[in-house]
Amino acid sequence: MNNLAQAIWVEFLKARRSKMPLFTALGFALVPLGGGFFMIVLKDPEMARRVGLISTKAQLTMGAADWQTYLRFLTMAVGGGGIILFGLIASWVFGREYSDRTVKDLLALPTARSTIVLSKFFVIALWSAALTILICVLTLCVGAALGLPAVSPQVFWQSGITITVAACLTIALATPIAFAASAWHGYLPPIGVMMLAMGLAQLINAAGWGEYFPWSVPALYVQGEKLGMVSYVIVIFTSIAGLFGTLFWWEWADQTH
Amino acid sequence: METVIETNNLTKRYGDITAVDGLSLRVAKGEIYAFLGLNGAGKTTTIRMLLGMVKPTLGEAYVLGSKIRIGEKKPWDSVGYLVETADSYPELTVRENLEAMRRLRPGTAPQAVDRVIERLGLTEYTDRRAGTLSHGNKQRLGLAKALLHNPQLLFLDEPAIGLDPAGIVEIRNLLIELVREQGVTVFMSSHILGEVARLAQRIGIIHHGRLLQELDVDELERNRRRRLLVRARNGQAAHAVLASAGFTTEITSDGTIVMKDRMAIERPDDIATLLVNSGHPPTMLNVEEEDLEHYFLRLIGMEEGGTR
Repeated sequence: MNNLAQAIWVEFLKARRSKMPLFTALGFALVPLGGGFFMIVLKDPEMARRVGLISTKAQLTMGAADWQTYLRFLTMAVGGGGIILFGLIASWVFGREYSDRTVKDLLALPTARSTIVLSKFFVIALWSAALTILICVLTLCVGAALGLPAVSPQVFWQSGITITVAACLTIALATPIAFAASAWHGYLPPIGVMMLAMGLAQLINAAGWGEYFPWSVPALYVQGEKLGMVSYVIVIFTSIAGLFGTLFWWEWADQTH
Repeated sequence: METVIETNNLTKRYGDITAVDGLSLRVAKGEIYAFLGLNGAGKTTTIRMLLGMVKPTLGEAYVLGSKIRIGEKKPWDSVGYLVETADSYPELTVRENLEAMRRLRPGTAPQAVDRVIERLGLTEYTDRRAGTLSHGNKQRLGLAKALLHNPQLLFLDEPAIGLDPAGIVEIRNLLIELVREQGVTVFMSSHILGEVARLAQRIGIIHHGRLLQELDVDELERNRRRRLLVRARNGQAAHAVLASAGFTTEITSDGTIVMKDRMAIERPDDIATLLVNSGHPPTMLNVEEEDLEHYFLRLIGMEEGGTR
């Protein structure tokens, strides 16, 4: 792949200079911080009510103030929130080229268009992975600071594996969003597509067919549903379709923006 | 004569709309070729087809000897371009924008960034974010990206847009210098004939997607209409004298006599003598050339009062 390293350097420069990494990090950091808040509340609900942390009407059904509950909250957030956050990153990385009208400068270069598309996907994947690692580290720090009761290392390993798989599934689902950003020239249409996918995921899940709908699979996985191989294959196939669709679009579609 | 750009029956249709219709042209090496037309005439679509961004419905195009196919990598290492508006990443500085472009053009030396910054007069803005630049400086940055790698061929879509008069002259001189000293070929589009006539050697006039005429700048001068304007204290009497001498004349409401006879235009001194001898000496004799804008509008059938 000619000049891929340089193309990745350029994509990182664009990402680094924008405010998006900061905003996405702050957004995702709400997960461990929010989880930490609930741990404080669950440790002593009466105290939390007395000092006004929660209202008297608050329903505390999360579980107990322990690592299992806290890590489950984290995995659920990655399985559900990851789709939205990583989709937003893909919308921005591809869509901004159209919104800023800079895409035309990337189309007639000695660096192939496919190289530029792959470098963008590389940055999206790495950025999303970095955010996942960030919230895992924050979760560990907040949990330790709160003095949650010690558990066997097995609990951390199991949660680590779940989060890794959930992150891979949600990152994989960013490719169709990138295709939407390219085909509809901007970052708002793919956000609409993502919202539609999330809405459909809820609906299809409620109808009991969630394991066959790619955007339902990560949430079902983190909820501990027994998923067959077909669910993972559907996610992988959707991801590959999004990747090749985006590559095909950049290489072959008329570029008039 | 080495041909750098060649198109054969290049056509682009979007549904029922024909944006470019059977365009066949040749551009020689080291030439400044101006592609002139109104907004929507098909200039940008042509440039996008030549850059492999838009697939022709019919026909073919060759740039620097390579047939242009969508997705091909050749011949872009030798081509620089500025299409439509000059856009850059707003949060990146001028230097970072150019550095990003340099890295996407392998083989371009790191010093090329400073060189082109200086050449385009952007030195004092080097570390300014592109989003905060004035319109003119954004245009300079766009041109800097096009020139960064010392291309053999430049595609410039309305390069003077946004520049002040001094900037226009500066860019014009820069392009002339590139052509003279480095043998660069420039294919530029514009909708201002007066501007391109000062720069280009050849002009192609496009209207409704069709190439109406290709001409050298010398031919342009020859093709422009000329007329002799005459005034005398008694305009009607002078008009009668000229008419009786066999000239075709018109008289305007302000009493100016308009003569289009070739003999009158080429020998205004004879007209003066005729009028003096008849007792109606001229108070004004003026050989007026049709201005470029009128010539252009006449050519595309849009003379004053006409419609598109």
